[in-house]
Amino acid sequence: MLSPLVKDIELFLNDKPSIYALRKKAKDALLKSGFPSSKTEEWKYTNVQQIIQTNYQIDTTNQICSHHCCDHLPTQDFIEIHFCNGKIHLEEIKTPPGLNIIPLPIVLYENEYKNYIFNSFDLEKHPFAALNGIYLEQGLCIHAEKDFHSSTPILIKYKFDNCDNQQLNIHNLFILEKNAQLNIIEDFSTTNTSNFTNTVNEIYLKASAHLEHYKKLSESPNGIHIALNGVKVHEKAFYKQFYFSEGTQISRQETIVNLEQKEAQAEIYSAYKATRQTLTDITTNINHIIEQTYSSQYAKAVLEDDSSATFQGKIYIAPNAVKSSGTQLHKALYLGKTATLNCKPELEIYADDVKCSHGASSGELDKEQIFYLQSRGIDKKEALKILTTAHLEELFSFISNPKIKNLFSK
Amino acid sequence: MSETLLKIENLYAGVGNKEILKGLNLTINKGEVHALMGLNGAGKSSLSFVLSGKQGYEVTSGSITFKGKDLLSLSTEERAQAGLFLSMQTPTEIPGVVFSNFLKQSLNSIRKAKGENELDTINFIKALRLEANKLGISTDMLKRFVNVGFSGGEKKRFETLQIALLKPDFCILDEIDSGLDIDALKTVAESINTLKNPNNAFLIITHYQRLLSYIIPDVVHIFADGRIIKTGDKSLALELEKKGYTEFLNHKEP
Ligand SMILES: Nc1ncnc2c1ncn2[C@@H]1O[C@H](COP(=O)(O)OP(=O)(O)OP(=O)(O)O)[C@@H](O)[C@H]1O
Ligand SMILES: [Mg+2]
Repeated sequence: MLSPLVKDIELFLNDKPSIYALRKKAKDALLKSGFPSSKTEEWKYTNVQQIIQTNYQIDTTNQICSHHCCDHLPTQDFIEIHFCNGKIHLEEIKTPPGLNIIPLPIVLYENEYKNYIFNSFDLEKHPFAALNGIYLEQGLCIHAEKDFHSSTPILIKYKFDNCDNQQLNIHNLFILEKNAQLNIIEDFSTTNTSNFTNTVNEIYLKASAHLEHYKKLSESPNGIHIALNGVKVHEKAFYKQFYFSEGTQISRQETIVNLEQKEAQAEIYSAYKATRQTLTDITTNINHIIEQTYSSQYAKAVLEDDSSATFQGKIYIAPNAVKSSGTQLHKALYLGKTATLNCKPELEIYADDVKCSHGASSGELDKEQIFYLQSRGIDKKEALKILTTAHLEELFSFISNPKIKNLFSK
Repeated sequence: MSETLLKIENLYAGVGNKEILKGLNLTINKGEVHALMGLNGAGKSSLSFVLSGKQGYEVTSGSITFKGKDLLSLSTEERAQAGLFLSMQTPTEIPGVVFSNFLKQSLNSIRKAKGENELDTINFIKALRLEANKLGISTDMLKRFVNVGFSGGEKKRFETLQIALLKPDFCILDEIDSGLDIDALKTVAESINTLKNPNNAFLIITHYQRLLSYIIPDVVHIFADGRIIKTGDKSLALELEKKGYTEFLNHKEP
């Protein structure tokens, strides 16, 4: 057997044959590619053997969560959607006209969204996304119609509090039609469970669409989190991602962005605290497929003793992607001497007349700054906290919406 | 006679392998203003760092007593909480830390250590605005990162603002006059004069008589060769300005 993660998918056989076909497609891809080993280049620094060998359980009892466990009052600041232990929480979600939020189990029964599934990435190249596809069931589709604009962000809260040793696969579609504008926030905060979360977001931005996609990951020290964002960006559309992570035992956030049409643009900001005995992996893959496409990536890290972090950023510029630009910057702050950082930029440039750059810097806390704070009565521990937060603060300043900023600086 | 606040006895200290303080004696009583003058590189700032317990400044012998307690046994933050404040010659820039947040944390750390209740945001902002106003510091500036991009004079105003808010018992002002324009010098001096009371004391490190004509010192010291070589009243500063250091260095007191 491949891995105890791949269970009997006949469990889902009473679904529509077309859904089963999707799951089968994912399973075939995984059987073909296999799980990453230490020799798999893209996973070289993140050892997943422990995950593959764990017999995580799959809960197939309900398609949705219909308990009152996370009923909540509607707020004016956000349109809130809750997932309880990996299942979408059933409640009435008030959405403005032009915005559709549909649970995945329903989406799977409709033909309209079929072409958006497994279309933003290659199943055979992403074994965990393929694993996610085998269990295709949980998730949601956010669809903003043409010209839809809203200043109210969508907040998706994923809560895990009763799912030790479970494998939770969540598959979302974010589709923004022409000229639509949206902010989506994903908030993963586990209290103390040892589950394995495996998420895939497929994101499609049509011409001139504008998506700000935020994600906050602060799961338990026993949690495993593997995530893939597959993003397709059309003409003059803009994808902005802001990722904050802290404290998860193993976390990998991978983002593939395909800048498919002229003047498509992507910005990716990552701020992470690699805490003791955790492994943080941020992998990006930006594909400039056509001329005049732009991308920039900026990551800042705080590395505690005995932590590991990997930042792999690949920028690919196709032969005809002239007049494009791709930049990448990683700045690390070491709090001790025993942290490991693998910072691996990869530039594959096949076109002339492009602007590309990458840079990495690392340093320790400034002793003069620690002294200044201490000399004002602030104790050393607190001073260190202030200064590490300050290191990441620069990235938080790129969040323009104060309500979203508040969520992140808490 | 008034009560002793700070007593430095036969202090030897250095940084790295360099010996900087060589048998320094200095007693400062409550209610007094002392001025400390000396050549560039004489070790005045080093003395201020020894007093505030900065890492790297090693005391090899001698003692410092502050409010009757052994100052040298306290950490930097404990010294600040005990009421010692150092206005630095070059205040440190801290990108990413908003000035008002920093100051709130500083004030509350000190209040907490003293057993006073911490100020909530509203009361803190009120207190901060009041003092900032007096020093001509705008509300916008309080939202900036600590000392980042501040002009030399602005940095000194912010150091003064901290004194006004934290109300320490003993203040070392290391060249608080450097970089200040004439008007700002007056404002800063006025602020310090209003803070003066019979229970606190100031040690003013300066190169210029001008500051001392606004904040009148009770005692003036000339610092050379790692210790105080001459002590007098305010007229000593005037005399020094006229004659320069050479005169005094050649006639060292035993
Ligand atoms: N960290 C250090 N390492 C080595 N030497 C140092 C260090 N700090 C200070 N010194 C040296 O100690 C001496 C005293 O310096 P200090 O800054 O205390 O002088 P100062 O009296 O304040 O001078 P100024 O009037 O120019 O401010 C100088 O020669 C200086 O170069
Ligand atoms: Mg000096």
